[in-house]
Amino acid sequence: MDVAEKAPAEATFEPLLQIEMEMGTFLSNWHHCDQLSTFIARIISHNRTDPVRHSNFFSSALNELLEVSFRGGSPDGQIGCAVYRHGRTERVKLTFPCLSRQRQFFSEAVSNTRREDALARYLDSISTGLTPSRDVVLLDLAINFDAQIRLENSAPPSITLVVDLPLEGIVS
Amino acid sequence: MSTAGLSIPFKAEFDVNSQEFSLSGVVRPRSINEIAGNISMLKAAIDQVRGVLYINVKRLVQMNNTAFHAFARVVLDACQARPDIRFVIVTSSVVGWTTRMFGHLNKIEPQITIEVYDSKFYPGQSFVENTSFIPILRTQTKMTWRHERTILPRHGMRSGITMADICCGIGDFVVLVQKEFQPARIVALDHSKASLAYARDVAAGFGITDIEYTYGDASEMLLEGNQFDFVSCRHSLQIFNQPDALLAELYRICKPGGRVYVTNEKNSHCLGEPRSQSIQWTYNEVAKLFSHFEMDVELGPKSRRYLTDAGFEDIVVESFMVTNLDGDAQDFADVIAAWEDVYAGEMSVKRGDSPEFIQRFRQGFQDHIFAALHPKGYAGWPIWVASGRKPR
Repeated sequence: MDVAEKAPAEATFEPLLQIEMEMGTFLSNWHHCDQLSTFIARIISHNRTDPVRHSNFFSSALNELLEVSFRGGSPDGQIGCAVYRHGRTERVKLTFPCLSRQRQFFSEAVSNTRREDALARYLDSISTGLTPSRDVVLLDLAINFDAQIRLENSAPPSITLVVDLPLEGIVS
Repeated sequence: MSTAGLSIPFKAEFDVNSQEFSLSGVVRPRSINEIAGNISMLKAAIDQVRGVLYINVKRLVQMNNTAFHAFARVVLDACQARPDIRFVIVTSSVVGWTTRMFGHLNKIEPQITIEVYDSKFYPGQSFVENTSFIPILRTQTKMTWRHERTILPRHGMRSGITMADICCGIGDFVVLVQKEFQPARIVALDHSKASLAYARDVAAGFGITDIEYTYGDASEMLLEGNQFDFVSCRHSLQIFNQPDALLAELYRICKPGGRVYVTNEKNSHCLGEPRSQSIQWTYNEVAKLFSHFEMDVELGPKSRRYLTDAGFEDIVVESFMVTNLDGDAQDFADVIAAWEDVYAGEMSVKRGDSPEFIQRFRQGFQDHIFAALHPKGYAGWPIWVASGRKPR
């Protein structure tokens, strides 16, 4: 199943922020995930009802996405992270280069987040795995952050994860 | 881009006496090898405890899936190996994702339970966060603002600074500060969601949109360290049972060279004429009543010691007296009436005081109101202001 798809007819998401970085530079330091997620979360949360807690939640989710790209990305090309907003939801579009077999992996991982047994899969992973797979990280976002995740068509070798995070409703 | 110093350092600790394993700060390892020492500490803790192991994550600001799975794995394995012990994971309602994430462990192992550490931060919390108190808090701020407006600049308040008001209550103080001094950034934190909702409404009513109201536990804040020029905490050290712990947090979030500003009372020094003896008796009893609930409303003059012990320098202390002559005497009387309702009507009853005691206790408040409204009367409520500079 190809889960790369066009966005359904939907309300307009307003752009808030966009960051691009050479993938090789990004991959040079693990702490870039923490630093970028903290920095971006702080900026985009400033006008939310509870900026401190929104930032904390958003940083958690974004960090996991960046870690996924860190572990699954390849060094040639650029990583791009754009954040949009519509109402109580932030949309993260994360684009990064990866190998073709990784594209297939992400395609399946994204589709798993929508399956009815997503929670069961997530619990099974916690109870059996010593370390989380990237597959489980996306399940974590869907279950613990109420994220809606899909893949967007992008030119190979890049991949674009689109993640809608309705955090304002959770935080406030 | 530099974000050095943004993250709160990760710490794992085990207190054998309370059988509590605590995780705090930010932990986002690339592999579990980076937290191997902490994992070993948890395993050793499990080996030592009997009955219950408390795993305290209420001050865990961030934890990635790598760390979560590693710690969860240890606890889940222990449930199999040690059916004789229970695990209680203590989360905070402030850091909501921890409750969601750790909550799943109970679905896997019933031996693991989750407690959201949401109430009883301090013994007097239920009285302080009582929403019926909100209108009177506004009147109190109106009365103290007449004094603090001129006092604040002597303690470091000026335009363009970044400030935090911790235990902001209904947020009216920061609205007044914003209008008078125009700080560049204001963060206002409280643990009462009702007060914060009220605060946001008040700010919106004034067309103020740039105050960041946030829900949080003042003694364990999500705010990063060393970021505010001015940190205020008014009438709050006196109602925490551990004022030194709260002051340590104020110190942490203050910039080196910035100042922490606290106001507190000494309730036994409330006074009035006529009927001074009845008034004095009642306010002496107020101090004892609060002490029963582990609150020190006599803290005002102790501020200098607390600030010194917390490591501040250049400590400035002064006091002022809110009186019935400041503005509207009826405002003063309304505040005393509200105190009577809460102190005599709720706290004294909860302590189990006799009707005779409560009647005499109420009389002192009514005499204070009498003094405030008497055409020749005088009624006072003393407040101590203190601030200290965090060393550079």
